[in-house]
Formats: sequence, C-alpha cells, structure tokens
Amino acid sequence: MSRESLKGNIGWRSPVRITASVYSALFLREALTRISSSRFAWFWLLFEPVFNVAYMVLIYTVIRVRTMGGVDVFIWLMVGMLAFFMFRRTAMQVTHATSANQALFTYRQVKPVDTVLVRGGLEGFLMVIVASLLLGGAALLGHSVLPADPLAVLEAFFGLWLAGMGFGLVVSVVTELVPELGLLINYVMTPLYIVSGVILPLSSVPQPYRDWLMFNPVAHGLEAARLGFSPYYHAVPELSISYVYEFSLVSIFLGLALHRRFALRLVTQ
Amino acid sequence: MIIVEDVHKRYQTEHGPGKWVLQGVSLTIPAKCSVGLIGANGAGKSTLLRIIGGVDQPNKGRVERQCSVSWPMGFGGGLQGSLTGRQNAKFVCRIHGHEYDLSERIADIEAFAEIGRAFDEPVKTYSSGMRSRLQFALSLAFDFDVYISDEVTATGDAAFKNKAFSAFKKLADHASIIMVSHDEGTLRQFCLAGIWIHDGTAQWFDQIDDALKAYKSSLPA
Repeated sequence: MSRESLKGNIGWRSPVRITASVYSALFLREALTRISSSRFAWFWLLFEPVFNVAYMVLIYTVIRVRTMGGVDVFIWLMVGMLAFFMFRRTAMQVTHATSANQALFTYRQVKPVDTVLVRGGLEGFLMVIVASLLLGGAALLGHSVLPADPLAVLEAFFGLWLAGMGFGLVVSVVTELVPELGLLINYVMTPLYIVSGVILPLSSVPQPYRDWLMFNPVAHGLEAARLGFSPYYHAVPELSISYVYEFSLVSIFLGLALHRRFALRLVTQ
Repeated sequence: MIIVEDVHKRYQTEHGPGKWVLQGVSLTIPAKCSVGLIGANGAGKSTLLRIIGGVDQPNKGRVERQCSVSWPMGFGGGLQGSLTGRQNAKFVCRIHGHEYDLSERIADIEAFAEIGRAFDEPVKTYSSGMRSRLQFALSLAFDFDVYISDEVTATGDAAFKNKAFSAFKKLADHASIIMVSHDEGTLRQFCLAGIWIHDGTAQWFDQIDDALKAYKSSLPA
C-alpha cells in the first residue's frame, strides 16, 4: 500500500488499520459469497461433509465392522474424515483464493496474500461448525463423542488447519507461476484420501511401506486426532504430532516468502 | 500531482515476454487538471491508467502519486458478480475504512447510481450501463483528488453522463479526472488537457483539441 495515495482529503490511515479493515471486509464478503453463491449454498456448505461422513459410516457399520483399532468405528471414521476435511478444504480454498479474487486487486489495499489468509481463516471457522454439528448428531445417536483428551484433539485439528494453510499458500503461488503444476497437484490430492488413512487403518500397512506413508503429515494429524478421542486406540507407532507442526511452520514460511517475492506477478496480468 | 517517469511495460504471455506496450512514457500531470488519454485500440491507454492507478506495476521506471488516486473504474473490475450492488458497495466502503458511516455512504451510492431495485440484485444481472453507474457512484462516494476512469462513461446514457459531469463540476475545485474515452464529446466536456499515446510513448497537449487533432492526423485517410 503506497502511503501517499491515502493521504490528502481521504484521510491517512496507518498500514495496520488498512490491513485490519481489508481483512474484516474480505471475511464478510467471502462468507457471504459462500452462503449465497447458489441455491441452498449454505445448506450444502454444512451438509456436504455431513453426508460424506454419514455415507461412509453407513457402509462401514452395516456391512463391515464394529470396531477399528480398538475403538468405535463410527467415531474412528468421523474423526478421521473431519480431520482430513480440515486439511483438504482449507488447502483447496486457500489455493484458489487469488484466482477467485482477481477482480479485487483493482483496489490497491487488497493484496493476494490477504485473500489467502482470510479464506483460510473462514474455512477453519466453517469446519468448527461442521465438526460440532456432526459430533452433536453422533451424540444424539448414542455414541460417546466426548474426547478423552480434548487438548490433543484441538492440537491435531489446529495442526491440520495450519498444514492446509501452508500447503495452500505455497501451491497458490506455484500454480500461478507454473500453471501446469496445478494438474500435477490434482493427481497428488486425489489419492491423498486413501494414503492418509481416512478409511483404511495405516497401522495395518506393513513395513517398510508404512514409513513411506508416514512422510505425509496429514496421516500424522489424523491419527493424533483419533488418539485424542480414545486413549486406547491402537494408533500408528510412528505417530508424531510435532511432525505436523514442523511441516506447517516450514510450508507457511515458504508460502509467505513466495507471496512476498512474487507479489507483483500475482496481481499483474 | 502525478509524476510518471520513464515507464516501460510489457506483459507476460504463454510464450515468454510479449512486445513492449509502453516504451519510455514520461509525464507530469498537474493537480486539478483533468486529462483525456487518446490513442488507437491497443496503444496502451488502459495499461497506462492501471499503472497510474497503482494496480499494475511498470517493468521499468516509476510512478509517484502525490495525491489520493481512486482505483481505476473500468469494465467489471472490482465488482463481484454473485454479490448484489449493495454488498459490493459495502465491501468498498469497508476497505476504505468507512465502517462507522457505512449506512450514509451506501445511501449516497444508491441515490447517485439510480438503478432502483437492481441495487439489491446480483451484479451479474446488470447491463453494462448499470455497471458503469454503480462504479461511478462507488468512486464518487470517496473524496479522491484524482479519479481514474477507463471508458466507464461510454456505456452510460445521456442522463447519466450529464449527472456524472455535474458531479465532477462540483468537485472541480479540488479534484480532477484522468479518463480514457473514444468519444470526442465526452473528452471535450470533461478534460482540459490531453495525452496522445502512440508507438509506446506519450505526448502531452495543453489543449485536448490539439491532442485530438494530432491523433486524427496520424490516422490513415
């Protein structure tokens, strides 16, 4: 934001004030777009993950098994899927933030990184609502949904949200610079559902393949969230929540640095 | 005052850098002086406007804005199609730090735009004239020193053009406009000076008529 352009009779505002007002305006705008973009958009926003989980749970409980790794399969699946969505939805929303908001860069105050951070924040906020809805629903069905270690669950979910932010930050710049990489990233994201252990327990994968799968930070976050719900869960022995946070720290730093370095390339045509 | 110093600009294409659009544009636009940009299609008028407005950056050279400059009003830029006119207006007020007098500003914008109930309809349902009414109303809601218009007046009807003109006349003691237009009447009505953009360079004329003459004489007969 160039200083002089806001001096004069429009009144000078400090950069922090400008950023704060841009963030709040963007947040309201993004939220509004999400709930009003199509018919019943607000309904699908909340119930798409709900249906997704309900469908999987139905298949598992009716056809296959009752317990998974020593815990209720209902809770196992639901927590895993919620944790996975926390990562994937945040990553996807953040990735497309700059391209979807191209029209806004007409206003000098709005920087690409603002749209990215606000979108990520909004998605985290929405996922908290979705998770509460689902857990509430499960409680009504008679499942014990109170986590044994709530802090560990929050830690896992927050780590996955951060990892989604970091991943999206990096990818949003990279795909803008080299659009072909967008295709490659789509290939990576599709099997992520399977290799993160959302519907198949990773602890049943033999070595050395499990070590390979555990390079994926999402798998660690998922297992940590499940372990937080029930301490008797047979989690993957290689589980390390700090790996998720290390990944987040590095990728967020890299993503912000890329946004800083290529700020002009993202707005110019 | 706006100082443009040796601005060079070319765009990236899929096949590497494109040809130079602007090659060494140097200008000083004095305060309170309304200027019209003239040139053929593709000469770089919009590019120069975007650079002056700070939305795009030159590859070489620099722009110094010693006054408050509006965002470039132009086709569709800055409006989100799925949101209503009112929601778009609220967004623009908020990013300009007018959260505290939001309702008055919105009322002003609604009154100036005169698009009736369409103000609460999604912008994607607007005609191009309604869009330009909304864009003009939006930027006039803030006291900028310089307003930048990229052919927004072109799609407005006569009544709207007159309204925009009289609004500008009221501002004339402290504000000015930099505009691109292909309509001579509009240019003569709004602007005092002219800039002719030709072959990647810009030439300043104190009188808009001289700029128009120079432009016309360059055209093949």
